[in-house]
Amino acid sequence: MTDPKLSDRLEESFVRCRDLEIPLADRLQAFENELRSLGPHFQAAVDALVSRLSASDAGTTAPKVGEPMPAFLLPDERGQLVRLEDLLSEGPVALAFNRGHWCPYCRINIDALARAQEEIAAERRHIAAIVPDRQRFAMWLKSDAKAPFPVLTDMDNGYAMTLGLAIYVGDELKRMMVSSGWDPSVSQGTDNWLLPIPATFVVGTDGIVHARFVDPDYRTRMAIEDMLVALRSAN
Amino acid sequence: MEMHQIRYFLAVSDTLNLTKAAERCNVAQPSLTRAIKALEMELGGELLRRERALSHLTELGRRVLPMLRQCYQTALTAKEVAESIRHGDAAPLSVAISRTVALKLFVPALRELSQTIRGLQLKLWRGSGSEVAEYLKSGMAELAIAGPLGESWSRLDDFLLFKEPVDLVVNRNHRLAGRNGAEFKDLASETLLIDIECEMGQELRACLEANGIRNAAAHQVATREDLLELLNANLGVAIAPVGVAETSGLRRVPLNRLNLVRRVSAHTVAGRHRSIACATLLNMLRVADWGFDAEAEQQTRVYR
Repeated sequence: MTDPKLSDRLEESFVRCRDLEIPLADRLQAFENELRSLGPHFQAAVDALVSRLSASDAGTTAPKVGEPMPAFLLPDERGQLVRLEDLLSEGPVALAFNRGHWCPYCRINIDALARAQEEIAAERRHIAAIVPDRQRFAMWLKSDAKAPFPVLTDMDNGYAMTLGLAIYVGDELKRMMVSSGWDPSVSQGTDNWLLPIPATFVVGTDGIVHARFVDPDYRTRMAIEDMLVALRSAN
Repeated sequence: MEMHQIRYFLAVSDTLNLTKAAERCNVAQPSLTRAIKALEMELGGELLRRERALSHLTELGRRVLPMLRQCYQTALTAKEVAESIRHGDAAPLSVAISRTVALKLFVPALRELSQTIRGLQLKLWRGSGSEVAEYLKSGMAELAIAGPLGESWSRLDDFLLFKEPVDLVVNRNHRLAGRNGAEFKDLASETLLIDIECEMGQELRACLEANGIRNAAAHQVATREDLLELLNANLGVAIAPVGVAETSGLRRVPLNRLNLVRRVSAHTVAGRHRSIACATLLNMLRVADWGFDAEAEQQTRVYR
């Protein structure tokens, strides 16, 4: 018998962290603490990647507040093609880049976004998640969190790449991710080992970025309160 | 990673000369060097060994080059598609599909595509594996959907769409129809229906021989429609992709020790510019959930 993979050993803690009735940042931190105690080597490799990305200013050139959000055409979890302007015709939208259905932080994030969507459903304010996972896995992520919003597929991280949000995982972490049970290559349908920096952009109906959150540390995400404030003040 | 960093790196890998690369990118050499340094910092290692006249790619540089080249192209295309989709200009799209692949599978994607690209004008070709390859090479088709093309031409891209299990398919009135499984020896007294156009042909013959089925009585057909007609008429049994058994009146009977899987891929010619319609359809096909992708199922089970 081989040892259970890190991802399996963490599943219970994951569920506990996800279901905590505390702010998103605290839930993410709670899971990070669990991971740090069960997989210290893994966390060290992640820390190294994050500091490398921060040192090289990864993600800083992504669209800033006041700049237009570039157009996209991406299939949703049912295979229907969605354009940014289609989303904006329904009101301001928060675009949340996530890494994939396999990522516990993203699952917590999507869960929090799903709860937030309930609050703003009646206000012509929307959320859309963007992942590099193919349709089947996008659908899984959506059902997992009972998310009422679309989960769009950015195949090969093409759109993220044009925004400067695509990063290369690197050999060391790649090996560790595979052996820990977090292998994005099957769900992405490519073994490029690119992942998006999980960023959130709140875009007004005029297509202009109203608020943004970009952090090369994928363990931190835009606070739900900040996103809601930005969505509500956007036109 | 930034698009300009990758563009500069690709230029250096082509020219192996920083001055020439900077000229090609229309940028001052210090800016080019700075951008590549930033890329190196992000990737966590040197990409180039800089020498006076000639630069060399390091091991890391060589390793990430194909990935960066492909991603750069994908990103450019994604951008082009998103920006030009609104115009409604005429968008011709020529697709070659293997005769052994049912068009029905792709109708939802084609419907979605025609709703998004208003000026879409489809041209569908049908052919055997080698004919499909020929359509691509000659430029008659921009995209092909087929099993393995058996081509050694290195410029053919192969994007695996799904793996379809191959199994025994019989008429519902056939003596084997009610069985939970069958053995190769059950086939000894049967007439086999053989689709000579099927890309799996050779593999199937080898598999039959390995399991003691030689010189079996057989009817040969050259289209999927004819195979279905003969199965419907109960004129024989077929070893075929399981999609065939979805036709009413036919049954799939698991054939023990048959371990065949048919790969269906989208093919394009590497390096050839893809039209908006082609790039969008290729993307949709790669993203789609085909329902029978064993590998994918395994992956979702892990996180359930």
